[in-house]
Amino acid sequence: MNLGLDYNRELGVFSVKNCNNIEKLMDTLTGILDTEVVFLQSCTRCGKEFPCADCKYGELCTTKNLPLSCVCPQCLRDRKQFEEYLEKF
Amino acid sequence: MRNDLLWVEKYRPKKIEDIVGNEEAKATFVEWLRGKRKSKTKKAVLLYGPPGVGKTALANAAAKEYGFTIIEMNASDTRSEKAINAVAKPATSYVALDAFSTSTQSKGNILFLDEVDGIAGNEDRGGVSAIIEIVEKSQVPVIMAANDPDIDKLRPLKKVCLLIRFQQIRIPLLIALLQRICLLEHVKAEFEALEHIAQNSRGDVRSAINDLQSLSEQNRVLTLQDTMTLSSRNKDISMDETLRGFFSAKSIAEASALLSRSNVDYDELLMSVSDNLPKRYTNPEELAAAYDFVSQADMYRGRIGTENWHLLKYFYNSMSQAASVAPESYLPFEFITPPIRIITLFWTKGKRSTLDAICGKIGAQCHVSHEKAKHDFVPYVKTLLQQKKSSQLASWFKFTPEEADFLAKMSRY
Repeated sequence: MNLGLDYNRELGVFSVKNCNNIEKLMDTLTGILDTEVVFLQSCTRCGKEFPCADCKYGELCTTKNLPLSCVCPQCLRDRKQFEEYLEKF
Repeated sequence: MRNDLLWVEKYRPKKIEDIVGNEEAKATFVEWLRGKRKSKTKKAVLLYGPPGVGKTALANAAAKEYGFTIIEMNASDTRSEKAINAVAKPATSYVALDAFSTSTQSKGNILFLDEVDGIAGNEDRGGVSAIIEIVEKSQVPVIMAANDPDIDKLRPLKKVCLLIRFQQIRIPLLIALLQRICLLEHVKAEFEALEHIAQNSRGDVRSAINDLQSLSEQNRVLTLQDTMTLSSRNKDISMDETLRGFFSAKSIAEASALLSRSNVDYDELLMSVSDNLPKRYTNPEELAAAYDFVSQADMYRGRIGTENWHLLKYFYNSMSQAASVAPESYLPFEFITPPIRIITLFWTKGKRSTLDAICGKIGAQCHVSHEKAKHDFVPYVKTLLQQKKSSQLASWFKFTPEEADFLAKMSRY
């Protein structure tokens, strides 16, 4: 819990409450679960969830697999959808 | 000349939702700000992370959105206990609310201390303690920002703050932002060009926008090839490259973006630009206008000193205006570098050192200050030595033969 993980007793689910030590949290969970822990990213344009594995910038990204917002590869390349998204502003 | 408003200012986030990335950090901050009045909430928050990721933008946008009056102190230039108390204490007490709040709509003050990790050195003695005391007694929210919160000096501060971490902005988010700006500024840019700008910025939104603007000023249709001129963030741009880019800049924005990437010494830059202005502008009116801007920049440089770095943007702006007085009249020319004054100082350094040594010896023997020795005693000692070079006077002052010779022969100082 000191690493920012929270547990909801009613729902019986864990959630990330605090991202200050997120890398350490993921390493700890990976160690406990004995499997790599990755988070799906949420696209700020279409709202869909996608994994970092789909992204071509993985090697350069300092926040890979962390539960942060992003833009999915499809939305990034889709100019028409981007212009529709801009009309909301 | 196009509208030269810097895009980082034009597209500065006005609302919290406009800030790119770090959604979780923003949500935590808003939760803290809203819950401020609950007793369990910490009175201060420390936003930390690399530069250009939205820390300052969030503080300002949140204050505007929630109707607070923000009292900002750049902690890099007001670090001493006395200075911080002089501004921050009144800002954090209920009594002063009416004095600071200029709007009847304001819900109160927020104190924002930017760059708290800039507090260091003897000049800042007591600065961190003063901040802690202010936080503990404050009746208003206190927001702090830092790049590196792990320095020893900030350890006591972290205990009284809620820490919120900001991450580097991801490349896809940066590309999306640059795409938006391109659409609004009617710039046609290849996807690969924006991709390269985003990668080069290393997660710094300000750098990415500055790079986009400087490249777009030259090419309204931006290709990947155009972005290859971008220097890597970590590469030093030499004085020669800086002067070349500076004088050939076609706009204030282009010159400003170049200066922000260059790592040359600002004082040397001022002198170099001053020396080269007559070569750049042959028209007397243009030259006069350029010198006006350089003198403004010199004034800002004096005020920046070693602490007031928040004034750097004004320094850049004034210098950039000097470069852009008449961009259409630019013709390549050979630069004077290093600056004439530095050359002169270098040539006379040896002479000045000898005279300083002589004045020191006169001062020690006659119990007078260095300045008094130089102005009141040296002329008489010189005259006496010219009459009798090997007099007892030279040995009484303990002059070396070289110093006695120098003093006897010097014409003026």
